Amino acid sequence: MARTVGDETVILDLANGTYYGLDPVGARMWQLMSEGNSLSAVCETMLDEYDVTREALADDILRLTDELLTKGLLVVT
Amino acid sequence: MNVHYTVQAARPMLLVKGVPFHQWASPDGTLWTQFFRMGAGYLLRFPELADFEVSADGRSVKGWPALGVTPTTVEHLYLNQVLPLALSRQGELVLHGSAVDIGGQGVAFLGESGRGKSTLAASFATAGTRFLTDDGLLLKWVDGCCTIIPSHPSIRLWADSRAALVNERVSVAPAVSFTDKSRIFAGPGVAFCTEDRPLRHVYLLGNGEAQVPTINLLRPAAALVELVKHSFLLDIEARDMLVRHFDDLTRLAELPIYFWLDYPRVYEALSPVRELIARHVSPRKESKRK
Repeated sequence: MARTVGDETVILDLANGTYYGLDPVGARMWQLMSEGNSLSAVCETMLDEYDVTREALADDILRLTDELLTKGLLVVT
Repeated sequence: MNVHYTVQAARPMLLVKGVPFHQWASPDGTLWTQFFRMGAGYLLRFPELADFEVSADGRSVKGWPALGVTPTTVEHLYLNQVLPLALSRQGELVLHGSAVDIGGQGVAFLGESGRGKSTLAASFATAGTRFLTDDGLLLKWVDGCCTIIPSHPSIRLWADSRAALVNERVSVAPAVSFTDKSRIFAGPGVAFCTEDRPLRHVYLLGNGEAQVPTINLLRPAAALVELVKHSFLLDIEARDMLVRHFDDLTRLAELPIYFWLDYPRVYEALSPVRELIARHVSPRKESKRK
């Protein structure tokens, strides 16, 4: 379950007591992932939206994905 | 907002079929509370102390003391643990925190166990600033304003805080079996507010590392995380209530009223902490020269 408050997004897994806050960029990644997009599709979409190199963006996406998977807030389908 | 509560005759702890859907542990890791489904309602078990049957709608509670447990102990468990959970089942928003009335404004204190929420409330109350609640902080939206509803007129304190803050003549409840905290009652020397108060500020108490009393702004997202951590919710698996609960907390987190508060945990610091909070809640307006 996720909610946006201010310019950040909070993801909640109440059963595990896990919470995770995302800044606006992280929130946009989360939104695209939640819509079922592949990580490469997330990267391509965000390259159009942000002034950032492909390498830096890919690193950020992988880092966020790893953290969310570790916390059980994301599952791979 | 009513809970019909009755205490039944003491009985041995009965075998409960099935596994609890949720559990609470004490800070030292010992099992504190087990949550079971019982028919359409719930059974809350405090091992070796008491069982509480809560109706599906949270409007009725039956307390079953374990053999040898004092009535005061059962009442203590009901007021501080079960009642907030029953109210949450009714859709009420209840936080684990204390609150005081500063100039007609409600000021709340949230934080981990042992951070000093009760001591701070008692510090205000014994200095003449009325407290609204010590533990279960009930909030309601009234005409678009988030409002604190006063709770039970008592504060639970450890012995050292009680000795430092409370006059010996203050009324105290009999001891309970599972904690060394004592419950002091509102009255002369412990000021209590019986009126609803608009929620003005919420302070999240730090861990006492600050060398001087310090207040910092808390981001809304961080406030939401803290509100989730410090809110009561009986059935964490009831999807509809979970969604509503999270929506309620999100609405609350959007208010620009959250701050970190930290100060040295020595009794001598409480007076300047109270003054700092009072100035922060109601800053004096400088008069303009004509």
